[in-house]
Amino acid sequence: MKTEIKFKPGFAVVHVKLQPGETITAESDAMASMSSHLQIKTKFNGGFFRGLIKKFFGSESLFINDFTCPINGKEAELVLTQPTPGDIWELELNNSSFFLQPGAYIAHSGNVTLGVKWAGIGSWINKEGLFKLEVKGTGKVFFGAYGCIIKRKVTGDFIVDSGHLVGYSKGITMSMGLAGGIFSSFFGGEGIVSRLKGDGEIYLQTRNLSALATLTNKYL
Amino acid sequence: MNIELLHRPANAVAKITMSSGEKIISEAGAMIAMSEDMSVVTSKYAKGGSGGFLKGIKRLFAGENFFMNRFSPGPNGGELYLGTSSMGDLMTRKIDGEFIVQGGSFVACEDTIDVDASWQGFKSLFSGESTFWVKLSGTGQVIVNSFGAIYEVDVNDTYTVDTGHIVAFEETLDFSVRKAGGSWISAIFGGEGLVCEFNGKGKVYCQSHNQNNFGYSLAPMLKEV
Repeated sequence: MKTEIKFKPGFAVVHVKLQPGETITAESDAMASMSSHLQIKTKFNGGFFRGLIKKFFGSESLFINDFTCPINGKEAELVLTQPTPGDIWELELNNSSFFLQPGAYIAHSGNVTLGVKWAGIGSWINKEGLFKLEVKGTGKVFFGAYGCIIKRKVTGDFIVDSGHLVGYSKGITMSMGLAGGIFSSFFGGEGIVSRLKGDGEIYLQTRNLSALATLTNKYL
Repeated sequence: MNIELLHRPANAVAKITMSSGEKIISEAGAMIAMSEDMSVVTSKYAKGGSGGFLKGIKRLFAGENFFMNRFSPGPNGGELYLGTSSMGDLMTRKIDGEFIVQGGSFVACEDTIDVDASWQGFKSLFSGESTFWVKLSGTGQVIVNSFGAIYEVDVNDTYTVDTGHIVAFEETLDFSVRKAGGSWISAIFGGEGLVCEFNGKGKVYCQSHNQNNFGYSLAPMLKEV
């Protein structure tokens, strides 16, 4: 399997070439175009109940699709995309696990499982979802964002504005906090933020869809 | 006529340099700027004339504006800038024959081309695209736009494109609408629903993103009007 992320960073898509027998799993409705002989198999996103939890609390889809190139077929092509224009990055998991924010997951290959983890009330108030998606195992994971993606190493404490966190590695815990004092938090426009603690990597998005909505709402 | 695309892919704009006698037909509202002596005639367009009312009506259903503008420069030639309302790319290519453009993707073409909203049968109703397609026929340059980036697929046999991702295709291709995957369960619950399958030999131009999906992501956060 060959994967390439094209049209970075504004309109990134994942361009996949599958050899006979190979499979890639993608978020529902992620397919933009493909070779017609690819087989699509729809399955629950990690079992019925966990799928339901993910759908209603994690903004993920109840179903995901397996795209398989038939054993006796020729090489197949698949283009995967996301609803918002923006960047896509890939993550190599090597018997490890990573957390993705609701809506960031696009696809994975290899031996990777998708699970849900309780993210906490703080996360929910912070509009980051009541649950978070855990990708775990060995393989490749593709995730996307609205705007560009920034990768940063965190040691100790770090603060991210709500709506800008895309994913973080397992050694990091998240809690809700205020950007500064009461005054600057509410009048300075930063409001509630995520406080991250631990050692690991985080991914941020440079834009935020709810900020676009707030901007647009002024004119509606 | 020289068409130059600037600021691709996110904020693409077409800069068109025209000699006297050359004409461009564009979708209403696409003009950003132009030479002072450019003449603009707004009409219900049909090739070489003022256009038929029926063709205008058909174009209205195609997601295009009822009226089109015809730009002709003055005696010393002129310059015309065309843009689109969505963030995304533009593409230009010379056609010789027939070229089918998805309703909302048509931007402009040379006056030597006939613009018609052609009925593609009932299948278009279910394809997630607009009911009509804009059919361009003749020889000349055309400009189309996309939401996101445009990529070209050389179809040689068969290729599947999700509804809402088709920008344009060559008339040599035949398309049919079918369910994604082997079963209706996949099609309905897998989120891919109905897809368009192209058969034959020719080029199909796809857009990386789908305006509807972006709209559905944003809409829940917008206030009720």
